Amino acid sequence: MTPEPTARPRPALGRSPFARRRLRRAVLAVGLTLALTASACGGGGSDSDPAASSAPAATSEVDTLKIANGVAIDTLDPAQNAANESIWLDQNIYARLVQTDPTGTKVVPDLAESWTTSEDGLTWTFTLNPDAKFADGSAVTAADAAWSINRAKDVEGGWGFLITPVTKIEATDEKTVTITLKTPHAPLLADLAMYAFGILPQKAVEADPDFFAKTPYGAGPFKVTSLDPDAQLVLSRNDSYYGAKPKISTVEVSVVTNDNTRVLQLQGKQVDVIENPPGNLLEQLGANPDLKVNLFPSTRVDFLQVPLKTKPFDDVKVRQAVKAAIDLDALNTLAYQGNAVPANTFFPYKSLYWDESITAPKPDLDKAKQLLTEAGYADGFTTNLIAVSGDAAGQAQAVVIKDDLAKIGIDVTITSFEQSTAYTNERSGTNGLGLRYWTNDIIDPDEVATFGADIDGGANSFSSYWGDPAVSKLVNDARSETDEAKRQEMYSQIQQAVYDQVPFVPLAYAPFRYASGSWVNGFQVSPLGNYNDSLLNLTVGSH
Amino acid sequence: MERFGLRWSRLGNLVPVLFGITVVSFVLIRLVPGDPASQILGNRYTPEAAQEIRASLGLDRSILTQYGIFVRSAATGSFGESYQYHRPVGELLLDRMGPSLLLVGMTAALCALVAVPLGLLAALRRGGLLDQGTRVFFTIGYALPGFLVGVVLILVFGLKLRWFPIGGYGTGFAEHVHHLVLPAVTLAIPFSTVLVRSLRSSTIGVLDSDFITIARLKGISGSRVIFRHVLRNAIAPVAVVFGINLAFLVGGSVVVENVFSIPGFGSLLVGAVSTRDYPVVQAVALVLAVFVLAVNVLTDVVHSLLDPRLAVAVAR
Repeated sequence: MTPEPTARPRPALGRSPFARRRLRRAVLAVGLTLALTASACGGGGSDSDPAASSAPAATSEVDTLKIANGVAIDTLDPAQNAANESIWLDQNIYARLVQTDPTGTKVVPDLAESWTTSEDGLTWTFTLNPDAKFADGSAVTAADAAWSINRAKDVEGGWGFLITPVTKIEATDEKTVTITLKTPHAPLLADLAMYAFGILPQKAVEADPDFFAKTPYGAGPFKVTSLDPDAQLVLSRNDSYYGAKPKISTVEVSVVTNDNTRVLQLQGKQVDVIENPPGNLLEQLGANPDLKVNLFPSTRVDFLQVPLKTKPFDDVKVRQAVKAAIDLDALNTLAYQGNAVPANTFFPYKSLYWDESITAPKPDLDKAKQLLTEAGYADGFTTNLIAVSGDAAGQAQAVVIKDDLAKIGIDVTITSFEQSTAYTNERSGTNGLGLRYWTNDIIDPDEVATFGADIDGGANSFSSYWGDPAVSKLVNDARSETDEAKRQEMYSQIQQAVYDQVPFVPLAYAPFRYASGSWVNGFQVSPLGNYNDSLLNLTVGSH
Repeated sequence: MERFGLRWSRLGNLVPVLFGITVVSFVLIRLVPGDPASQILGNRYTPEAAQEIRASLGLDRSILTQYGIFVRSAATGSFGESYQYHRPVGELLLDRMGPSLLLVGMTAALCALVAVPLGLLAALRRGGLLDQGTRVFFTIGYALPGFLVGVVLILVFGLKLRWFPIGGYGTGFAEHVHHLVLPAVTLAIPFSTVLVRSLRSSTIGVLDSDFITIARLKGISGSRVIFRHVLRNAIAPVAVVFGINLAFLVGGSVVVENVFSIPGFGSLLVGAVSTRDYPVVQAVALVLAVFVLAVNVLTDVVHSLLDPRLAVAVAR
């Protein structure tokens, strides 16, 4: 799986017309957050009173939450994670300098209670919360923070590329971390809120090469008390946590790889929450008064990859014809039981700088045929469509697309491969159409724009090999544009360019699927997939 | 050694077989399209990043060098480091070995407890109610696919009666055993079928033989005839069937481990193949192959212990 992470921030502060006053806005935003959460207990939305920060504010009838995940834990080293399920667990264990709020639209304080930016945007100074402690009771120091971020930046194949403009991360005193950049970098806060940049206890990690395989801990609300990566992880409340303590004392996460077995476990009340119940069972689960189906907006964007390297897809009219023929509503019904949202742009649904004003394409067969005729393919043509075998939603999408394109004379042969092979075949851009999806790692759209719309961004515009110098320039300029309104305008232009030139066809915004017992109150997943904020307030009733 | 009907030369023959297995598992996983670097990077694939990862995994070296590294690491038991788990593969194998061995062990024990008495009784009361009953039950059990039997057992004993947990492995030995009852029963049904039928037919063969008739004429008590003479002679061919099927059981356990979400070798192998975790695939294939070979050798030993004629024949 592609890492679909969970960290997510956003250049401090909501869009405001007074965009130039960044420093003041940062301070103001922090002040607001403090006011909201009394004493900067991050994790937004927690409405506990400050006095509660040393004892659980309220308790849960049952003090253990049991979650069944479908994927084994690959590692709990935040700098090395690849499996989403592990990433989402990381965020309960390791606090970061900053974090995204539960809505996944802005960055709020975590271990850093405030930060300031120099006038030129090249120096960022973070001040640590004096109450921040690791689960072993030791204080979180600026040295720990600088070491952790440097460590994550240097991991091969890790996330260092996100913060390429960063030249130096150092502890300037006990509680101050200073980050120096060579060029302004708008997504910096969003990057730092990512799980990979979790703050670790330097001495403990350096002292034990197996730190992450035993009972790792950080400064988050929970710590690991037992870890069997293939079977079970037990988290318990971290009593040294600087913020409001969770109402549950224990989280048991079991690994149950078989989808149907997880559903049976929930029906048998052996677990409280299950990840990814099969789509075709949602109706049955929803009809059971004891259970709830939980669908949460995600940053997943399914898209049809179109290979511009090969004829006839090098002709923009052919690509537009393909887009005009596909019925996104039918696709949603068949692949996602109507639970997805037809995609209007290639940016994730309701994410930062997503352009709401673009409308999702409606099928128009006459226009599609006319476009094909103008391109010189009045009788259509044949092509392949690469799909992932064993992926129920993807297979359904493939069938709908084959059927829709047949209506305008394009004869599609579906070729299914298991995921790894499918990706390899799609990446060369010479094997026909392909079904793929994207998920955000951070709330900032810089990543999706770079990989999807900049031919030089490293991924050949999602392997479509489409390049438009004007769009590439926009992608690069938007990265260092610190004026919110200007940045919005640039990203709107980028989304519109992709919409018009169709290097790929965005298909669906699929939700995260969970199911839980009706006895669980307050389970929430953010658009980036993490649920650590909800575990702070979640309660489990007797059942 | 000799008296077990084994010759050193036979063990020596295993060496080329093992060598062949290392080559096949090493080459096969590399022939499958899709490469580990792109698996790790997913949508964030860039040629430079992929090259960096390939270099860090040693995949940029020559095939022969890579094979040499694999053989050396296998010899030391470390098997290199898993791409996906960032841990030594040897450790992963140790973690996963317990559940798989316990599952196979419980299945074998269950089979022995069920199959020996049923096979004997079916032979002694040929055509009787028990004989017909076991025949019908096991024919059906044998014909049904493992995953279906597993799901039915989950529905009845897990969801309705709540006697057993639904999947997973629990913590602590008692819980492990509790979790493995249903998967072991699922595996034991087709496995017992083969044992019951073969024990029944070999028992019938022995019962009809002259020495049993003579033993009976000598006035030896019925039960003594059955256990001392009939069973001992009838069980030898069954032991061979047992051994051969034990090897197949390893294959069956892959499916059952998936249905019941048991963290054993089977689920490790399936996961590693799909993520192109070369070191893990190679190591699991090798360990399973060694297990099958060991079972074969043990089968020969047990067989010759039960049937002295064989040892003589082999020694010749």
